Amino acid sequence: MDFLFPLFGRFHPLFVHLPIGILFFAVLLVFLSGKEKTSFLPVIPVAFLCGAFFALLSGISGFLQYRHEGYTWETIQIHLILGWSTVAVAIWLYISFRKTTEVTRILKAQSGGLFLLLMLTGHLGGNITRGDDYLFEVLPPGLQSFLGIEIEASKPLQLPTENWEEIEFYTGAIQPILNHNCISCHNPKNLKGELDLTSSEGLLKGGESGEILFNGNPEKSGLFARLVLPKEDEEHMPPKEKRQPRKEEIELIKAWIESGASVEKSLGSAQVPISLISAFFVKEETPFYPPTDTKSIAIDSLSALRKKGFFAENISIDSPLLRISCINFPDFQDEDWNKLISFSDNIAYLDLSGTQVTDAIIDSVSSLKNLTVLKINDADIEGGSLVKLKNAQNLKLLYLNSTAVTLDHLKLLDGHLNLIKIFVYKTSVSTNPDDKLSFELETGDFLLPKLATDTIVY
Amino acid sequence: MNQLERLFKELTEQKLRNQTRRHFLMDCVSKVGGLAMAPLLFGCEPGAAKNPIGMNLSARDLNPLSPLPPPFAPKAKSIIYLHMAGAPSQLELFDYKPELIKYDGKPCPESLLEGRQFAFIRGVPNILGPQANFAQHGQSGAWVSDYLPHFSTVVDEVSFLKAVHTDQFNHGPAQLFMQTGSPRLGRPSIGSWVTYGLGTENQNLPGFVVLTSGGKTPDAGKSVWGSGFLPSVYQGVQCRSKGDPVLYLQDPDGMTRDLKKSVIQAINSSNEESFKDFGDPETLARINQYEMAYRMQIEVPEVMNINDEPADIQELYGTKPGEESFANNCLLARKLVEKGVRFVQLYDWGWDTHGTSKEGSIDSGLRHKCQEIDRPVTALLLDLKQRGLLEETLVVWGGEFGRTPMQENREGKVQGWKGRDHHGDAFTMWMAGGGIKKGASYGVTDDFGFAGLEERVSVHDIHASILHLMGFDHEQFTYNFQGRPFRLTDVEGELIHSILA
Repeated sequence: MDFLFPLFGRFHPLFVHLPIGILFFAVLLVFLSGKEKTSFLPVIPVAFLCGAFFALLSGISGFLQYRHEGYTWETIQIHLILGWSTVAVAIWLYISFRKTTEVTRILKAQSGGLFLLLMLTGHLGGNITRGDDYLFEVLPPGLQSFLGIEIEASKPLQLPTENWEEIEFYTGAIQPILNHNCISCHNPKNLKGELDLTSSEGLLKGGESGEILFNGNPEKSGLFARLVLPKEDEEHMPPKEKRQPRKEEIELIKAWIESGASVEKSLGSAQVPISLISAFFVKEETPFYPPTDTKSIAIDSLSALRKKGFFAENISIDSPLLRISCINFPDFQDEDWNKLISFSDNIAYLDLSGTQVTDAIIDSVSSLKNLTVLKINDADIEGGSLVKLKNAQNLKLLYLNSTAVTLDHLKLLDGHLNLIKIFVYKTSVSTNPDDKLSFELETGDFLLPKLATDTIVY
Repeated sequence: MNQLERLFKELTEQKLRNQTRRHFLMDCVSKVGGLAMAPLLFGCEPGAAKNPIGMNLSARDLNPLSPLPPPFAPKAKSIIYLHMAGAPSQLELFDYKPELIKYDGKPCPESLLEGRQFAFIRGVPNILGPQANFAQHGQSGAWVSDYLPHFSTVVDEVSFLKAVHTDQFNHGPAQLFMQTGSPRLGRPSIGSWVTYGLGTENQNLPGFVVLTSGGKTPDAGKSVWGSGFLPSVYQGVQCRSKGDPVLYLQDPDGMTRDLKKSVIQAINSSNEESFKDFGDPETLARINQYEMAYRMQIEVPEVMNINDEPADIQELYGTKPGEESFANNCLLARKLVEKGVRFVQLYDWGWDTHGTSKEGSIDSGLRHKCQEIDRPVTALLLDLKQRGLLEETLVVWGGEFGRTPMQENREGKVQGWKGRDHHGDAFTMWMAGGGIKKGASYGVTDDFGFAGLEERVSVHDIHASILHLMGFDHEQFTYNFQGRPFRLTDVEGELIHSILA
């Protein structure tokens, strides 16, 4: 029955809304209550009792959630104390309103206090689940800084591949690195070590242990030296439990200090080598398989496909795309295509090597819009209909080893949008340096020379 | 009464006779007590009703080798891991240290020895300069010695890790560490993890095949391809490259395939009974292994036969048909990967070059070992490349540790041959193929090649990267055992981004 406690705990998010609503309503009644006819006094105690009851349930469930769900005391302590205070004040008000004959000013003040308590508790509770910056996040940046909200680590430094030489060393590279790694603790509003790293003035001024920049001497400069101390060292920055800067970022800071820690120089005029820069170039990572909104295949249909002899598997757990192979289905023929036709939109990797297929299969597979890898090694393919594969626009790798394809057929695929490479090992195709094709041809037939050293007996 | 009825009657009588008072009492204790306990133990657990013995068995438990999708789209779908058992010397192959030449024959600086323990070196040994001639090769300018003339032509396909470190300096533990992520017994090997995570692609072949050469199996024994705490169905299947690939796989004369089938069916149904009684998952593993063995009978002889390969391929690899050789194993590795095996593990024994004998020396024995692997390894990379398999196959090469820049002085004596002691602070490994950068080098060692200065890579980092390329996040890929989730990388491991394409 151990599960009952955590289960009850999990109702906390449900319960908490009841006291918020009911107690808010109760307080509202207190303030709207007039004399005689408009007096809500008879119902006010009930409202407070009801609110207090659900506040109590919330308190208990909240405590159970804290005990069972791994929240630390530090994160929830104020929320918990305020929550139980709400329970206490609500009960107190219930008792007070039962005794009273009149809505007094003191009671109004106490009700107002309960309202504040309620809002604060609710807000803190929301912060625990949604994060401290839940509300501030959506504010415009100008308003954020006006309100003095700590801007949590900005984006990591990125540099363009072209004309990076003209970017200012300090403003364009060093300050962004500091913004990303340091200023959450070293900004005007949170001056850890009395150090402000949000501006060049702050950098030049240094912190409580003095200057942090000694021009041309990174080892003496705290800004660099502390970064490369062993993580366990007390002086190491950022503190070892925080995210550490990348090696390349540290190197760039070092180079900046070496170049004189100037605020004016550009990356080019400081003669920063490209090797220090290239790590920051924007990487456009295009996924190998095309992005798709195709629906996933139900596990039952997949099992049915496997029973027919195919190897069939999703590219990855979250991907609707399939890798299908006839590795255990050597008798696969062109007519067997109808077994796969309902998976047309999902097939991204298709291996028909060593099967009985002929050129006719190319017609069928060319309609696969997500097909990325196609293997038809070791099959009776002459290549007459290969040109149709231009329709399979996402095709990147085409395997036609040990087939009868010819270069003329392959040339028709020239200009295919995504095709990277065609493997034509053990075919009649031979490459001619004059043929400029939009894709690579791998003809293989590698040989290793016989070397004198191969036969020496050592 | 015919014969059959008589037999049945006898069986029943015998059964009754065997049921003594002790049996009855014992059954009362275990079974009646068990009946009372059952709802307490399993009553509340979801899924308990699904099978009679009260165990939570998933479809995976019942069919442990069925394919599974990886969590992320993988860069590689197979791995060929070439392990040079005994630990090759990085200082004669890849890690060029001209400074060592100057110090050749001079006593090793005390600073390198302080507080250090070596497997055999005692006192103050002498520095041993590189015993090879180095040159830069390819567009990447990778340093490779004249010990590997063929390999030096394909360095642009490879990413070198030059500052790998391990904390083990004896072969057994170091091999275990390299292959299972722990120097102690009991952890699953990389191949077992991968097979556990992905199943097998070709249902007639195991997902994890092991091939050995060099005359001996690794010092750490078969645990380096063991399944540890994973079900034993995920352990590596060792195939021999000489004689029958798998012993007793061929049917003897007079045994037809149908008869074999009915034998296996009978054994398996009896095992299933036993599983129902005891619920030991290892029984399931046994059932699966019988089935796999039966299916392997079709495919294995074909895949493991290198004689059918054309002459140019045989020549490329330098195979020695009918013998146990690393070249044969390299060719087999390609064939297996082509046939959908996930993980092919090659061990080549004989790289332990202490200088105590000619075979175990840096100047002679190591040259011989290099000669044995140079052509096959190069051929493997080229052959994978020409078939387009290198796009989706990860090739890993390395030993279990490296060797000292000092000449070994076992028992305080100078050895008859030039040799180096075990050393784990810095050594070279390389990777190539699916998801690996071409022509990269990562890691810098000091002037003596003693320790890594920058870009050091731990064994866990290598494991993390291998799993990454296969589509796993090494921190999420766990197996619950003894009350806690276990990982291949334990609590460490960072991806080696610099060599990932």
